[in-house]
Amino acid sequence: MKVLVVAERKGTELRRVSLELAAKATQLGDASVVEIGGERYSPLPFVSALAKKVQADAPDLVLLGATQNGRDLGARLAARLGRAYAADVTEIAAQGGSLEITRPMYAGKVRARMRVPLPAVVSIRPGAMRLREGAPAPQVTKIEADAAAEKLTFTKFAAVASGGKRVSLAEARVVVSGGRGLKGPEHWNLVEELADALGGAVGASRAVTDAGWRPNEEQVGQTGKTVTPDLYVALGISGAIQHLAGMTSSKVIVAVNKDPDADIFKVADYGVVADVFEFVPAFTEAVKKVRST
Amino acid sequence: MKILIPLKQVPDSTVRVSVAPDGKSIKTEGITWSISPYDEYAIEMALERKDDDPSTVVSVVTVGPARSRDALRQALAMGCDDASIVIADEAIPPVAIARALAKVIEDAKPDLVLCGKQASDDDQGFIGPALAEVLGWPHVATITKAVPADGSVELWREVEGGHEVWTARLPALATVHKSEKEPRYPSLPGIMKAKKKEIPERPFTALGVDSSGPMLEVLSMEPPPARGAGKILKDGDPRHLADQLATALRDEAKVL
Ligand SMILES: Cc1cc2nc3c(=O)[nH]c(=O)nc-3n(C[C@H](O)[C@H](O)[C@H](O)COP(=O)(O)OP(=O)(O)OC[C@H]3O[C@@H](n4cnc5c(N)ncnc54)[C@H](O)[C@@H]3O)c2cc1C
Ligand SMILES: Nc1ncnc2c1ncn2[C@@H]1O[C@H](COP(=O)(O)O)[C@@H](O)[C@H]1O
Repeated sequence: MKVLVVAERKGTELRRVSLELAAKATQLGDASVVEIGGERYSPLPFVSALAKKVQADAPDLVLLGATQNGRDLGARLAARLGRAYAADVTEIAAQGGSLEITRPMYAGKVRARMRVPLPAVVSIRPGAMRLREGAPAPQVTKIEADAAAEKLTFTKFAAVASGGKRVSLAEARVVVSGGRGLKGPEHWNLVEELADALGGAVGASRAVTDAGWRPNEEQVGQTGKTVTPDLYVALGISGAIQHLAGMTSSKVIVAVNKDPDADIFKVADYGVVADVFEFVPAFTEAVKKVRST
Repeated sequence: MKILIPLKQVPDSTVRVSVAPDGKSIKTEGITWSISPYDEYAIEMALERKDDDPSTVVSVVTVGPARSRDALRQALAMGCDDASIVIADEAIPPVAIARALAKVIEDAKPDLVLCGKQASDDDQGFIGPALAEVLGWPHVATITKAVPADGSVELWREVEGGHEVWTARLPALATVHKSEKEPRYPSLPGIMKAKKKEIPERPFTALGVDSSGPMLEVLSMEPPPARGAGKILKDGDPRHLADQLATALRDEAKVL
């Protein structure tokens, strides 16, 4: 099977998910990796350039990362080329003349095994594919976005003041999320310091993003991001079904809540019944100590 | 300004979804259905524009089975002006849904189309970009704000570290990630008014759109792996609990 991987870059480096895709693509068959150059992602110039590449190379499968841009680009590309499309796939294998994939549905409450006819466009969830440590960096062909296809005007970038540069939530191996139990944005240093000690990203419940304590992009759950880190730490989060939808596939879950009956404890591997204001600073210190010995 | 929202009726977010005996679909008996959450944000976003400028007309449309009328009524009760349904009982290829919506849009001629970023049943996020493609319109994905100007609209898109602000000439399409405010509840007069509104319907086959296209086939469905009962740490000095947890994460769970 001929596979074309669409790589994404963050700053100067390829995103981890792109490396994961490249590794998977070589298992599936004859793989090549393409990157689309342009000042910033925009659907029409990117789709136009990529569609031409796909028409020229005729890969059976186009693989993208299920990132914010990858999902958008993949959907419009599939529509333009009349290909089958599957988003946010967590397992993929060739099966006869088609693909057999697994993907979450119903906001993560169900996992579906599906047959995808070829040719197809598939976006793969970051972290779902194994990355072989020490594998050679993939060879990436660069194509340019088709500026002539643009119908939008980029007006400006409105930056939000945020505390330092952390790992992005969707790809982080550790996520520390805070909920309404933290009582207010002024206490977020507790969440951030623990995240820093663990080398992780910061997340939040919707109660927190709705209250404007934290930006929407940090929201975890059904209407936020789905995360699958090795370690998820929920601080002062009750464990509403919509929050669980975004984090129960994490490998290890730690929950800190002062209510012993909180629903979050039903999914936690380690549940700590304690006050976040007393426990979290002590835990941050303990993590630092354990990591340095 | 005319804003049109294609919406989908899905199991309510509080439903504990379970797999049906056939092993390839979910149990639908007795469950509560709602407007898909991101579509609800799209409606709220449109109604906020209507709050600012009462001449704004907000329409909703769905392609789906007859039960989806309830979702349209819900949208009317929130304050949308009109609703229509394209009845489709069978599974139709997603690209054909986009074609059907495009047909409705060509007839209704809205300035702005707002889709949800993804429907919380299939979670695909395909229809919005695909609809823009069928219409030959530009689109901006996952917006959190739409500010209309003369003949154009400013679309705010939340990305890592801030917002990209794009300007699109009308007509344009965007997929919605969130509205500025929480979706409003239907008011009592809104509910009364919604009850009386006609919801015109057309069968999918009457639209005369091409119904072909690639389809995914569900082979099986299962609940995500159950998580075993975890360890509970409590009743101790916080410092002691903290040390206990950090050690367990390193030595047992091996994640530190
Ligand atoms: C359509 C829809 C979509 C949604 N999508 C999402 C989503 O994507 N993500 C999401 O998170 N939610 C989502 N929600 C909201 C969800 O239902 C809950 O309202 C939300 O998750 C609650 O956030 P919380 O746990 O921070 O707050 P609360 O439910 O208020 O819980 C706060 C917790 O903190 C604990 N606490 C309080 N003080 C302390 C203390 N000092 N120390 C320790 N613990 C303390 C309390 O015991 C409580 O358990 C959605 C809802 C709907 C209807
Ligand atoms: N059957 C449908 N009828 C109307 N709008 C739909 C339908 N399916 C999807 N949509 C719209 O397209 C968005 C994305 O859906 P999906 O591609 O199914 O994730 C939804 O949030 C709706 O705005």
